[in-house]
Amino acid sequence: MPLVLREKKKLAILFILVFFHLILISLQIPLGEEKNFLEKTVFFIFSPVQHGMTVFFKTIGNVWNNYFYLTEVQKANKQMKEEIFLLRHENNQLRKALEELKNNNSIQEYISAIHDSFLIAQVIGIDSRNVYRSIIINKGSLDGLKKNMIVLDKKGNLIGRIISPISLKEAKAQLITDNDSGVGVITQQSRAIGVLTGDGKGNCDLNFIYVTEKVNEGEELLTSGLDHIFSSGIEVGKIISVADDVSLFKKIKVKPNFDFRDLDMIVVIPGYLGDF
Amino acid sequence: MRNFIEFSLGIIIAFSLYSIIGKISFSLSQLLNFFTLIVLYFAMTRGEIYGAFMGTICGLIQDAFSLGVFGINGLTKTIIGFLAGYVSQKLNVIPLRRNFLFIFVMISAEIALSSFLYYFISAEYVNEITPIVLFQPLSTAVIGSLIFLFLRKARIFSTQK
Repeated sequence: MPLVLREKKKLAILFILVFFHLILISLQIPLGEEKNFLEKTVFFIFSPVQHGMTVFFKTIGNVWNNYFYLTEVQKANKQMKEEIFLLRHENNQLRKALEELKNNNSIQEYISAIHDSFLIAQVIGIDSRNVYRSIIINKGSLDGLKKNMIVLDKKGNLIGRIISPISLKEAKAQLITDNDSGVGVITQQSRAIGVLTGDGKGNCDLNFIYVTEKVNEGEELLTSGLDHIFSSGIEVGKIISVADDVSLFKKIKVKPNFDFRDLDMIVVIPGYLGDF
Repeated sequence: MRNFIEFSLGIIIAFSLYSIIGKISFSLSQLLNFFTLIVLYFAMTRGEIYGAFMGTICGLIQDAFSLGVFGINGLTKTIIGFLAGYVSQKLNVIPLRRNFLFIFVMISAEIALSSFLYYFISAEYVNEITPIVLFQPLSTAVIGSLIFLFLRKARIFSTQK
């Protein structure tokens, strides 16, 4: 084939591929938040590979731990036993406190509803484009995972929510630090209600707090439940800076409570259960 | 058939490395871009069409494992794969220093192109670039040029045997 024709053929293939991508991108506009078939398929095919890699390296890590670090394990075990004892104690105290507030039946229903669908999952992957946007976990639709379930860290701080695509044994969770996320929150002391969005760089912005409202640095944020996605009362983060803006609202920066370095295990709980 | 196996193997290796790196450290996953390294490798050794196809597949995988518009990474990597293949046919980018510079320029171009596309489509330009990502071209170029050097030496060694 002459060189000119060969070059033209190559360019034609490039244009076909570029056109294919442009079609793919434009197809997402009518779909909104819903993922297209190709994205779901790619996720469905490759997420087990990621799962497998994590299991493989975890197994190697376990062998190492079991044979060479038994003493460390023993120490950690002792520490965990103490922690469980404290948590049980705290749990009992909280149950007693709850009983004083509500009648027993509704408490038992509420607690068992949460307990039955409590799911511990492992983080097997992070967002390939921006680590502050999403994570991949090793639980999927077979484990009962559904869209909008709430993701918490080990200490019960809010991390984000489950979003699609959800494959059989893997799922994607959107972090609260993602700039497309939105969480209804309330400040603990001043009781100001706002919407928290991620800044895509590891922190969050608290929006829609009027300049006339009084909020202070260091104040804790809790979920308000007003978004009907996140149940109320979950710890979210702490205000790190407050500044007045030329607009109606304050510019408030929030540091999330969860630690990115500590995201190996997470807890998934059901989404909004109504006001308790 | 051999091409298909190598193609698939390349994708699996890139994806596995991305998964491992992500498990080791969040920051490390932002510093090293193995998907683009595989695209560049295929573009340099097989030409622009292979580079473009590899770019399409690797980009779409990366898109499926991130939030945002599905297809932006695919489009970016397709163009970069084609461009890398075209440039490497015209210029000798094999020697270590040139290879380092070539990878550095290509990854910088990829970041610039994807940021532009993101801004163009969803106006998220500023938020997408974290400071650590700016070091990605340098760190990936160092690792990439060393890996490619090792692969070349290994190939020479095996043909000599």
